Amino acid sequence: MPSGPPSMPSLRELQTRVMDAVLHTATERSAIEAVLGLIDAPVERAVAGLEVYRNTAHSNHVDALHSTYPAVWRLVGADYFQQTAREYLGLHPSRSGDLQHVGASFATFLGERHGRDQFRYLADVACFEWLVQEALLAPDHPPLDLEKLAAVPPADYETLGFDLHPALRLFESHYPVHRIWEVNVGSEAEPEVLDLNQGGDRLAMLRRGGQLEFHALNDSEWRLLRALERGATFAAAADAAAAAESGAAEFDAALALQRFVALGIIVDCRLAG
Amino acid sequence: MEMAARADESDRLQWAPLPASAGIGLRAQHHVHVLSASPSVAWFEAHSENYFADGGSHVACLAKIRERYPLSLHGVGLSLGSADELNRRHLAALARVIARFEPALVSEHLSWSSVDGTFANDLLPLPYTEEALRHVSGRIAQTQDALGRRILIENVSSYIEFTASTMTEWEFLTGIASESGCGILLDLNNIYVAAHNHGFSCHDYLRGIPRGAVQELHLAGHTRVEREGHALLIDTHGAPVCEAVWDLYRHALQRFGAVPTLIEWDTDLPTFDVLQAEARKADAIGAAIHAIAA
Repeated sequence: MPSGPPSMPSLRELQTRVMDAVLHTATERSAIEAVLGLIDAPVERAVAGLEVYRNTAHSNHVDALHSTYPAVWRLVGADYFQQTAREYLGLHPSRSGDLQHVGASFATFLGERHGRDQFRYLADVACFEWLVQEALLAPDHPPLDLEKLAAVPPADYETLGFDLHPALRLFESHYPVHRIWEVNVGSEAEPEVLDLNQGGDRLAMLRRGGQLEFHALNDSEWRLLRALERGATFAAAADAAAAAESGAAEFDAALALQRFVALGIIVDCRLAG
Repeated sequence: MEMAARADESDRLQWAPLPASAGIGLRAQHHVHVLSASPSVAWFEAHSENYFADGGSHVACLAKIRERYPLSLHGVGLSLGSADELNRRHLAALARVIARFEPALVSEHLSWSSVDGTFANDLLPLPYTEEALRHVSGRIAQTQDALGRRILIENVSSYIEFTASTMTEWEFLTGIASESGCGILLDLNNIYVAAHNHGFSCHDYLRGIPRGAVQELHLAGHTRVEREGHALLIDTHGAPVCEAVWDLYRHALQRFGAVPTLIEWDTDLPTFDVLQAEARKADAIGAAIHAIAA
């Protein structure tokens, strides 16, 4: 039973030094040496005990990243993922007691790392997977109450706005990320060869009940939903859709609205102001 | 109006207690089995953070399971022992989960996992000092005030202890319960692992905990590894409960009486029937102990 040394560190000092030894890989040796004096055991046993915490913390964080980014894991392989995860965690250590937040900056990190090389699509895949996680964890919502919409007087149509489903996420990329994700998630087969230049994605991903749905969007639909997502009135969103570079002449905002209500993408209406 | 509101609040707090028998730690891999087969289990315990989401399949499954079984919520992320300010956002999320699932018990760990806002997301041991005792007791009291209910605090497995400590772990845990008013969740496997790693007596530990303070027991398996010529026990929750811990369980039941007991298993998760067999064994030991006592 230790009796306590003459000069005890404060609780914060002790925790800061232990955390350095548990997490900080860049200064691994010095961080461990700095904490050994706090531990009531011979050096070898103190190091062995610290290693348990170092291994558990690291594997908890890497497992959380793997859970959020299974397609990135499969694309780069386990070894490279582990190495990349270690570097990422060194720059972006966990800031939450909820492990689902560990990967919040992973797409940005991959973009900074691979933005100019052959793996530049990885950041978009990671962004897609983060949005998938967000959609899977978002609240449920009932469909639009059509009677509520019917009760809006025509004089108020100019200020009518719509709310999107809370489990809806809009995604765009220059790469065929949805296809990349499909062939890499939940498949044990060798990934098929994809042409990264085959065309990009603009889509709405929506979780309804327990199922994820993906709906491809044309330029006008994309602009319409983007505007509604930002809180624009339907009139303003329709104007934004009309400014699309392609297909705007054939675009019918009212028909698009019906489609998005039927798909459960639009779930509520309100009057601005 | 004010009195009516208080009566409503009081009603909501009258959650049925957990039965004093063996429950099983609920893991997502078993959600479908539990919902489709409705296995005979006295109660379930779920990790609070796994259900922090506002929606989704895990939350929906737990809601259905809660309709059929008593539930306890067990947190791993509040970091009660941290020198940081209490994480109000995490606490608010915990309060939402409690309001949604109305668990019979809510528990956290006697540990820390963060400092200066950075998280190890692991259960790190505290120095057993007067400073830490006052600090952690205050944070538990804050938590209980915020949640409007008493919580249980669980002893953790540990692989290091600090030269700064001036008391034993059981003195520290007892002091925390006395200062904060929290209950104790005694993890017998954690006692066994820490006792082996640090060279104290499991029975001294049990004798050091007041009889009426223990509201729940945990049982789990551990792993033995060799490090630098010494055997180190690691709390992996990846094996059956070992005989020495079952024996400790008998002693704990004799000392603390019949309390809800949880079978925990996390890594290399077996099929559900293996967990049920462990729970049945715990119940059989409990029945034998109480038959003798009667």
